[in-house]
Amino acid sequence: MKKFILRRLLLGIIVLLGVALLTFFLARVVPSDPAAKWAGPRATPEQIARATIELGLDKPLYVQFGKYLLDLLQGNLGYSLRTRRPITLELQESLPATIELVLISTIAAVFVGIPLGVISAKRKDQLIDHLSRLFSIGVVSLPTFWIGLILQLVFFRVLGLFPMGGQLSTEIKITMDIPKVTGFIMFDSLVTGNFRIFLDALWHIVLPGITIGMYPVGLVARMTRSALLEILNEDYITAARSYGLSERIVLWSYALKNSIGPTSTVVALSIGYTLVNTFLTESIFTWPGIGNYIASAVIGLDYPAIMGVTIFSAFSYVVLNLIADIIIALDPRVRV
Amino acid sequence: MRWLSDFIKTLQPTIREWRLSFYLLNRNWLQRVALIVIALLVLIAIFAPLISPYPSHAISATNPKDKLLPPSSRYLFGTDELGRDLFSRVIFGTRISLQTALIAVGLALLIGVPLGAIAGGLGGAADEIIMRITDIFLSFPPLLLAIAISAFLGPSLQNAMLAIAVSWWPWYTRIIRGQAVSIRERQFVRAARAIGTPTFRIIFSHILPNTMAPVIVQASMDIGGVILTIAALSFLGLGAQPPTPEWGLLISTSRTYFLNAWWYSTFPGIAIFVTVLVFNLIGDGVREVLDPRTRKF
Amino acid sequence: MKKLIHLIVVLLFVAALISACGGKPQEPAQPAEPQKPAEPAQQEKPAEAAKPQFAVYALNSEPLTSWDPAIEFSNGIHLHNNMYEQLVRYEPLEKKVKPLLAESYTVSEDGLTWTFKIRQGVKFQNGDPLTAEDVKYSIDRTMQIGAGASYIWSAVENITVKDPQTVEFKLSYQTPLDLVASTGYAAFIYSKKCVNENNEWIEEAKGCGTGPYMLKSAKWGDEVIVEKFADYWGGWADKHFSTVVFKKVAEPATRRQMIETGEATVAVELPYTDVDILKNNPNVAVSVDPSFQNLIGMFNTKKPPLDNVKVRQALAYAFPYQEVIDTVIGGYGRQSYGMVPYGLWGWSDKLPQYKTNIDKAKELLAEAGMADGGFKLLLTYTAGNEAEKSAAELYKAELAKLNIELEIRGMPWDSQWELAKSTDLAARQDIFVMYWWPDLPSPYSFLFSTFHSEEEPLFNLAYYSNPEFDSLIDQANQLTATDFAKAESMFVEAQKILLEDAASLFIYDRQDIWVTVGNLRGFKFNPAYPTVVFFHDLYLE
Repeated sequence: MKKFILRRLLLGIIVLLGVALLTFFLARVVPSDPAAKWAGPRATPEQIARATIELGLDKPLYVQFGKYLLDLLQGNLGYSLRTRRPITLELQESLPATIELVLISTIAAVFVGIPLGVISAKRKDQLIDHLSRLFSIGVVSLPTFWIGLILQLVFFRVLGLFPMGGQLSTEIKITMDIPKVTGFIMFDSLVTGNFRIFLDALWHIVLPGITIGMYPVGLVARMTRSALLEILNEDYITAARSYGLSERIVLWSYALKNSIGPTSTVVALSIGYTLVNTFLTESIFTWPGIGNYIASAVIGLDYPAIMGVTIFSAFSYVVLNLIADIIIALDPRVRV
Repeated sequence: MRWLSDFIKTLQPTIREWRLSFYLLNRNWLQRVALIVIALLVLIAIFAPLISPYPSHAISATNPKDKLLPPSSRYLFGTDELGRDLFSRVIFGTRISLQTALIAVGLALLIGVPLGAIAGGLGGAADEIIMRITDIFLSFPPLLLAIAISAFLGPSLQNAMLAIAVSWWPWYTRIIRGQAVSIRERQFVRAARAIGTPTFRIIFSHILPNTMAPVIVQASMDIGGVILTIAALSFLGLGAQPPTPEWGLLISTSRTYFLNAWWYSTFPGIAIFVTVLVFNLIGDGVREVLDPRTRKF
Repeated sequence: MKKLIHLIVVLLFVAALISACGGKPQEPAQPAEPQKPAEPAQQEKPAEAAKPQFAVYALNSEPLTSWDPAIEFSNGIHLHNNMYEQLVRYEPLEKKVKPLLAESYTVSEDGLTWTFKIRQGVKFQNGDPLTAEDVKYSIDRTMQIGAGASYIWSAVENITVKDPQTVEFKLSYQTPLDLVASTGYAAFIYSKKCVNENNEWIEEAKGCGTGPYMLKSAKWGDEVIVEKFADYWGGWADKHFSTVVFKKVAEPATRRQMIETGEATVAVELPYTDVDILKNNPNVAVSVDPSFQNLIGMFNTKKPPLDNVKVRQALAYAFPYQEVIDTVIGGYGRQSYGMVPYGLWGWSDKLPQYKTNIDKAKELLAEAGMADGGFKLLLTYTAGNEAEKSAAELYKAELAKLNIELEIRGMPWDSQWELAKSTDLAARQDIFVMYWWPDLPSPYSFLFSTFHSEEEPLFNLAYYSNPEFDSLIDQANQLTATDFAKAESMFVEAQKILLEDAASLFIYDRQDIWVTVGNLRGFKFNPAYPTVVFFHDLYLE
């Protein structure tokens, strides 16, 4: 048991090291000159030379990589070429908005996806299974960026029900003090009792939330279905049935409990997908999160910023998967 | 001509697997429809110049006097900001999407398959190193690595294909390796080893041909996901360049106009959706077919 | 929910309007209704009614890239010009330099000594009075850092403080220093207190400028909120905006919507296709102003086949000027006469224009020995710029008629620029499409950066090198302060050379479309400060 977790952790560290190496390699082999960018447009050769030293680009590659790793260990992702500010700080500023969006859609994925998967498995090969399968495969086949535009077209332009973008109305933002407890607007406004801000934030998150949430809903529904189907074929389920336990108890408490492992893995996985999908949708919804941040970084060729977001996302993905694995390992039923 | 018959012989397991999958898939009506749609899409891609009413609009011609017209009998899907027929452009987009997806998957196979065979065939340190490398690549959330690579390489359709291949190959390495490990200890491989056949020959002429079947089937079902990825890259400005009628690029350009021209975003999006959907439907079916636990015989 | 918010906004405006107009003490009538006191929104209303008006400026990219006014040479122009001020401001349409922080200035006979009288009673936002010391300090520091647009001061040899209200600039060569001092970048006067011992700007340093607005809060890459500086020397009236939000809204469609719903006060870079629809909307005001931005397509004059002047001329004849102006910018612009844009001195309709003429182009190609075309050209443009993209696509269609294949590549500005400066000469583009706008409102700025010979390419991305042209514009620049008419005619002459050499496509001088809420008053755009909105001049009616 301990050995398994230790091995998993060790592997995680190796993987993270590799991720760092890969991003470093990507950012260094590009034919671009970060020093020229750092020095700014119309910089003189002397300014560029100065910037080269400032950024440590005159040192051999392995020294640069060593420094890069040391910085990473201290949580320092380097400096943005455009703003010259620490990327860690910029990520901290834009993360809460994205996490809020990702959490909302993950919660939706769990509460819509799992029941959908269960129903599908229960009525396998019946019409409802086909429909729910079509739905869950359908939503993972939708281009996220497109569905965002279509939702804007329908719910903003035609129906006028929801705002086109932003996290809060400007009026609210200027005329009211936005409470700052954790940085998550919805949570903060709720705990401080600012219902107007909360409702405004909720009203704004609906369209981007649906857009981002579709993929994980489909993914979770499909995984729950196949995990359940597998478990329903197991001997102990047959045994439970033969004891005369009702089908409802068999399904919801025996089978579903045992599919928690695979389902939690897929939820962890879907958070990774969702995070990347924010890259495609945040700018459509003027959502001030890391998706918007990386979009401007890509446009401005801000390599350290792109690297920073990549490292950060890969890191959270690895950690999430690690957690999911450990949860499964801790589950006494899985222990061998 | 011996090489040809050899080649066909090596392909035989793959063809057998494909035929079996096809047979199993064909029993489900949803999958049957999906198969028909895929066949249609391939036909559309091949005969794009014949089907589209204004093939020149998909290449370089412009027609500014008809800009942003809604769908009509003349322009089935309406026109874009330079008066080009969107129907023709979406039709040609089918060709581009299928073509680039095939190439990207092909490249990924080219990287992934030999590495998987080496890992599985050699075992030991080589196996460990290759598999840890796949771990690293697979620890990026999907799409992220492709975005990062094409951002660094610079925007073009070729670079996007390369980026996808580089982020996709580890899946194939894993499948091949799994197969290779099980084959490595089989009788005929042992026999080859006993008579002193060099290891690499064993890997490439004995192990590899016998592991290809599932990976090829898997790869053909991945086309949908790859099409979606290419569209996403083009949407971010990291893929196809104007005036290429690539679907993701069409949607990206339409963003400026879509509030007045709903047709501009809608049709290319439906094209992506339908294409990815049918491939995913088949892929989902194949997974059940290939999975020994859910396979019905 | 939406209705509720609209109601609140309307009430807020009404309340603000009433308090602004009459200043009457009585409360607006609404709190009389006793039925629904439980609603939280209702309870907060009295507090809000007292809050003054605000404006929102919807920008297409991040509000700024550096807090340091000595360094910022990018988007921050919008913000810094509302927080900081220069010695003088240029009004290009009236061709006048107007006093700002300097009440007046004089220039010596030889054009090498400029003396500025500093305005009395100006305060920095931190309360300190503005003195000549501060002027010297700011410009010295800007020059010493040498980043951004600081090169505009390159003629300055030294700055001396004559007395607390007088500062003197000694130049090493003649240059119109009043124009330099009016520049929208790198000419700001700021307080010493915002700089730490390493000569670095203190992050988000507040109260460093003399301008009407001071920083309230900022979220990097997203939005900056500024509020009024009560002691601003220009004074305040009730009707002025007390708060201004600079907000990045990347999607043009969203920016348009914000104006239509009144969520934004001003928006930039709206698609030209939307303009006609917006003009019919009574809640929206559209004003069309000349801008100093022009679209050019620089030919690579060093790489075959464009090293042949005949081929370049042929390509200039092949460009669909009118079609591009009509389609891409909806007719809001005019075909360029040379490099200097309409409205700026040095522009002349006496200069020749290339008119679209495919036959002429074929003829010229034949003269160059390439009657059948058959070559491939690479055009680069800045990704995300719809106008550049569409213009390139229309051009491609024309070139196809000459059997020339145009490859269009949209790249982030930095990659586009990097490729143009690539040491691998063969990899460089053939046609470099970009918008150009002035650092200085002078034809020299337009001609020097783009076509003056350079050892290493910087912005002369035609790699054009012509000693005759160089000396002509250098002399004209030095004559500017002493013999304006002569200087202007020399700048026109220089452009004639460029046109004969077909160094570049000069496509159009665009007009800026300003889309604002319908009841905005006082709006006047100054093309010397592209995309800057001086919010202190504005109010809602």
